[in-house]
Amino acid sequence: MARIFPESSRSVSLAKKYGYDSWLVSRFLEYVPDVEGFLGKMESPPTRYIRVNTLKTSKEALADRLRLKGFRLQETVIPEVLAVKESPLPLGATNEYLLGHYYIQDLGSCMAVEALDVGEGQLVLDMAAAPGGKTSFMAQRMKNTGAIMALEPSERRIKSLTFNLNRLGVYNTSVCAMDGGMSESLGIKFDRVLLDAPCSCEGVIAKDPTRKTDHRPEDIDYCSQRQARLIESAIKVAKPGGLIVYSTCSFAPEENEMTIDKIIRMFDNLTLEPMKHGNEGLTMFGGTEFDPSLSNTRRFYPHVHDTTGFFVARLRIRN
Amino acid sequence: MTREERTIVNRSLDKWGVFDALKDSVFLIRQEGVSKKLCLVSPEMESIVLQNKPCLSGLVIGEITKQFTPTLQGMDLFFRAGAKSQHYIKINENAENLVLYGRDVMGDSIIEAPEALTENSFVAILNMRGEVIGVGRTRFAGRLLFQKGRITVTTISDAGLYLRDEDEEKRSKLTRRS
Repeated sequence: MARIFPESSRSVSLAKKYGYDSWLVSRFLEYVPDVEGFLGKMESPPTRYIRVNTLKTSKEALADRLRLKGFRLQETVIPEVLAVKESPLPLGATNEYLLGHYYIQDLGSCMAVEALDVGEGQLVLDMAAAPGGKTSFMAQRMKNTGAIMALEPSERRIKSLTFNLNRLGVYNTSVCAMDGGMSESLGIKFDRVLLDAPCSCEGVIAKDPTRKTDHRPEDIDYCSQRQARLIESAIKVAKPGGLIVYSTCSFAPEENEMTIDKIIRMFDNLTLEPMKHGNEGLTMFGGTEFDPSLSNTRRFYPHVHDTTGFFVARLRIRN
Repeated sequence: MTREERTIVNRSLDKWGVFDALKDSVFLIRQEGVSKKLCLVSPEMESIVLQNKPCLSGLVIGEITKQFTPTLQGMDLFFRAGAKSQHYIKINENAENLVLYGRDVMGDSIIEAPEALTENSFVAILNMRGEVIGVGRTRFAGRLLFQKGRITVTTISDAGLYLRDEDEEKRSKLTRRS
């Protein structure tokens, strides 16, 4: 169950100032560092990022073309990702976009692929693939070799997924109209499994401010139950020695550290591996202590990392 | 793929000047009703596809009937692989923006076209950098393609098509709601 904390004068005043339901701010005060800085940052549009599609062009060639059109770009910690500081055109309206030279993708979202450490010739499962940002990033890191199985249950979302894969020139991927929870039925063991789990999307409030007041504790409960089912499936289809990356765009510990804590207690062959970027995950929440290795998970905050909110856990299946 | 289908594909690769570049690639055929779509897949994907019947595999690069007709993605693949084909036109920057909006090509905006091109030819529409931005059909042959003030190439498909479809879908949803 989603933990609800008592209101305080601080949570009430911050909720009023920034237009949130106070239960949500009371929770943020428990797990978000510098809450006022965080709420302030959520008021401004998030920094926009593009990921260069190295299947079709190089970073240098794309940057040169966009700079000639008046774009101001900046390097980031991920080599293929550029921050867009100024753009004379909408990012989705340039010829380079239409020709598949880049994909509009938040830096936080790219961190999940960075953590998965995909390589040429591998078998990879993407359990919730649409609209294809992470799938296509993996394909380019794999240089269109190996094979990616991209699962997506929604027909409408499959359309946008296939469009993006086509536009970006991806040919090592198959799309199956299937829920990630059914992945065992594929009868394949994978070297890498990405579970970018459906979540309550707390991390994207800056993009969708209606979530300040539309968000309910029940959403967190619903999502965390679904996430637990999905990650169990992920573990069953990963090869010994393989890697699973679990990510969400939520800050809620019930959808992140608590889910991972439960799963590493349930399966005795999992190791949580550390990652280079991001803040350490929580090892305690609402009086509950988690396994100490939960500090190896990573949290990305808009006001700290200039990304949308993101959580990433990297699980190795021991041989 | 049957032997006959393989022959059609090989002839086409040869026609587009990419036979050597793509001869070791793995192609699969997806049957959609009477239509046979040719998909480029990675070698590792082949056995997985046969086992699992996904709804999409790899990149659809063309359709096979009695002959092979490349899609936009197919054309893009061929020209990236160094296609040495006479089936292209190159257009100026202003026309590039118009083609990406689905407009046809005026003779004034063509800056390069092989003289050997005949009327009703299937051609790649290239921008000034040599990138495939669309697929078209010629209305005239040779030098007549450069006629001023006339549409000389019909645009069949272009890289902006999906975005326009998506906009259309959004507009129709808004209309339904209102």
